[in-house]
Amino acid sequence: MSLESLLLLSLVLFCLGLFAALSHRNLIAVLIGIELMMNAASLNLMAFNRFSVTDPTTGQVFVLIIIGLAAAEVAIFLSIILNLYRTHRTIDAEELTELHG
Amino acid sequence: MTDSLSLILATTFAPFGAFVLAILLLMRQPRVAQLIVIAGGALSLAGAVSLLANGPVDPLRYLWFVSGDIQLRFGFILDGLSLMFGVAVALITLCVMVYSLGYMGHDPDKTRYFAMLALFEWAMLSFVYAVDLLQSFIFWELVGLASFFLIGFWYEKPSATAAAKKAFLMTRVGDVGLFIGVLMVLQVAGHFDIPALLAVDNGLVQQAAPATLTAITLLIFVGIVGKSAQFPLHTWLPDAMEGPTPVSALLHSATMVAAGVYLMARLHPLFMGSETTLGIILIIASITTLLAATMAMVATDIKRVLAFSSISQLGFMLLGLAAGSLFAGVFHLITHALFKALLFLCSGLFIHHFETNEMEQIGRAGGRRLRFATAGLLVGGAALAGIPPLGGFFSKEEIFAALGHDGVTLFSVVALLAAFLTAYYTFRMIFLVTRPAQIETEETHAHAEHGRAEPWSMALPVALLVVGAAIAGFWGEQIAAGLGIDMGHHTLASMAPALAVVAVGVLLAWVDFGRQGAARTGFIARVPALERLFTNGWYVDAFYDAVIVRITTLVATLMHAIEVKFIDGNFDRLGRGVLGLGSGSTRIQNGWVQFYGGWAVILVGVAAVYFSMGG
Repeated sequence: MSLESLLLLSLVLFCLGLFAALSHRNLIAVLIGIELMMNAASLNLMAFNRFSVTDPTTGQVFVLIIIGLAAAEVAIFLSIILNLYRTHRTIDAEELTELHG
Repeated sequence: MTDSLSLILATTFAPFGAFVLAILLLMRQPRVAQLIVIAGGALSLAGAVSLLANGPVDPLRYLWFVSGDIQLRFGFILDGLSLMFGVAVALITLCVMVYSLGYMGHDPDKTRYFAMLALFEWAMLSFVYAVDLLQSFIFWELVGLASFFLIGFWYEKPSATAAAKKAFLMTRVGDVGLFIGVLMVLQVAGHFDIPALLAVDNGLVQQAAPATLTAITLLIFVGIVGKSAQFPLHTWLPDAMEGPTPVSALLHSATMVAAGVYLMARLHPLFMGSETTLGIILIIASITTLLAATMAMVATDIKRVLAFSSISQLGFMLLGLAAGSLFAGVFHLITHALFKALLFLCSGLFIHHFETNEMEQIGRAGGRRLRFATAGLLVGGAALAGIPPLGGFFSKEEIFAALGHDGVTLFSVVALLAAFLTAYYTFRMIFLVTRPAQIETEETHAHAEHGRAEPWSMALPVALLVVGAAIAGFWGEQIAAGLGIDMGHHTLASMAPALAVVAVGVLLAWVDFGRQGAARTGFIARVPALERLFTNGWYVDAFYDAVIVRITTLVATLMHAIEVKFIDGNFDRLGRGVLGLGSGSTRIQNGWVQFYGGWAVILVGVAAVYFSMGG
């Protein structure tokens, strides 16, 4: 197991998440894509933590905070989506353009 | 010194104060306004007369501002010329103001009329007394402005506004020349002070090279041509008849057109310094005096006859001045002012009564029953024709003497011919009005039943001017003394040719128009081509319409096209471009979150690649 293979894995994971977030119209799919990207970032941090840092707790603290943040974010995101659905009867990202200039 | 100062301030600023009061406060009280204006005019006349009585004093000068080496002054020149002419201006303006009480009595816009008369008087008096050439120019333009307002007084009439614009524009053509001339004076002399410019030692004549002096005097003369309605800028004056008749009286006698002649008299030494200019003035004045006299021979409108005669007489004055006699020109200027004002006011009596300008109609309607107006017309006409011992005779005699002095025979002949034509057309006018073929009976004219034809306000000025026109000829000595010139004495033999041509002119008019069973057409009608030429004013106006107006219109159309197509078009294109840019850029903000996100990723990616390559 090397740093390069871990970084490559995280890159693939990030690109998949990005693709999902940009290409899916369903806001829940977009949320899943964003979660994937966060996990890619966490994986990145853990990889660097394993190979190039003397004190292994540094990276672990980072990742734990990211997981906590992600949980909170999901809660907020899902409640926004629910409210959107209630008021607009849709969660299609292309139809929700009320804030355009 | 202070005494003259307060007098001159009263003289010039009384009409100005009346103008300001009337125009600002009294628009709704025409009776008060006209009284105030007349009071201003009377005060002004009193001031001018007491100034004249005090005699000439040194010029008063007050610094206005300094710019570099140039000092601009306002002030008053109080020599014989300005004192005498100032009195003439104030007197005739007051006569016209009083006369207007009757003539304009029913006009709803009296306040504006009287205010403009006051403005006119202020401008003219300030011009007459101006000590500084630039000050002269400023008031010269104000005179033009006031006459523009008065000619176009009845602004509902399109012909009146057209005439006002024509007068303004044509005099403006001359004023451009005058202004360049004034600036050249500044360039050569470095100041505008008239007495210093005219000084015998180290005046402008000594300072300027002969060619420069010729250029300056010619440019100033261009201004005079415009203002005094000389050929080829004379065509505005007959059209200026569109104004009320008292205004014509004022315009033609003491103000406006007289300003040009006065300016030449004022700057006479400069003109005497350039032979070329004098020659050109003699030629232009000769053309004008003959041209206008021929036009007066065929005009049927009484005011137009008088207008053409004014042009002709102004030419006469310039002939006298250019022949070297300041006295002859100024003398004729003053006598002409009196009898021409008289003639216009008399014609106003006829016009007011019969409500027509056509001499034939006035005659048929019983013109001669207006005894008072007829008497005035006779005296004024005789003075204009040059019948002794009335005003015009003596002053014309001076001009003949001046012209014949150096044996300038061609111009003497021209002047005699013009005098003959003057006598002819004047008496043609008188006979047409007073000796018609038949007179309509009294009943057909309900208007004539009003008892006295003229109210006192109209009769009084006419009576005053009758006396003035009759005795002005005997003031020659005093005027000459006022100018500091010795008046020559003329023998009967030297007067004979002038007397002879006048007699022939009157006789011919009698044969053509006056005697019982006369043909009542001029001898000129036997040559129809000539008659057409005269009636159409030698086609000068037609020429202007065909050439100058057309060229101007063409240029204006072209400029309009350039403006619309090129300048406006490009600004429009610029505007449309900005608009397009804006609406194009709003399309980017479509509200699609993923679109924004995609672009963010792309841009961050580009930046990352850029920085990873080492900036």
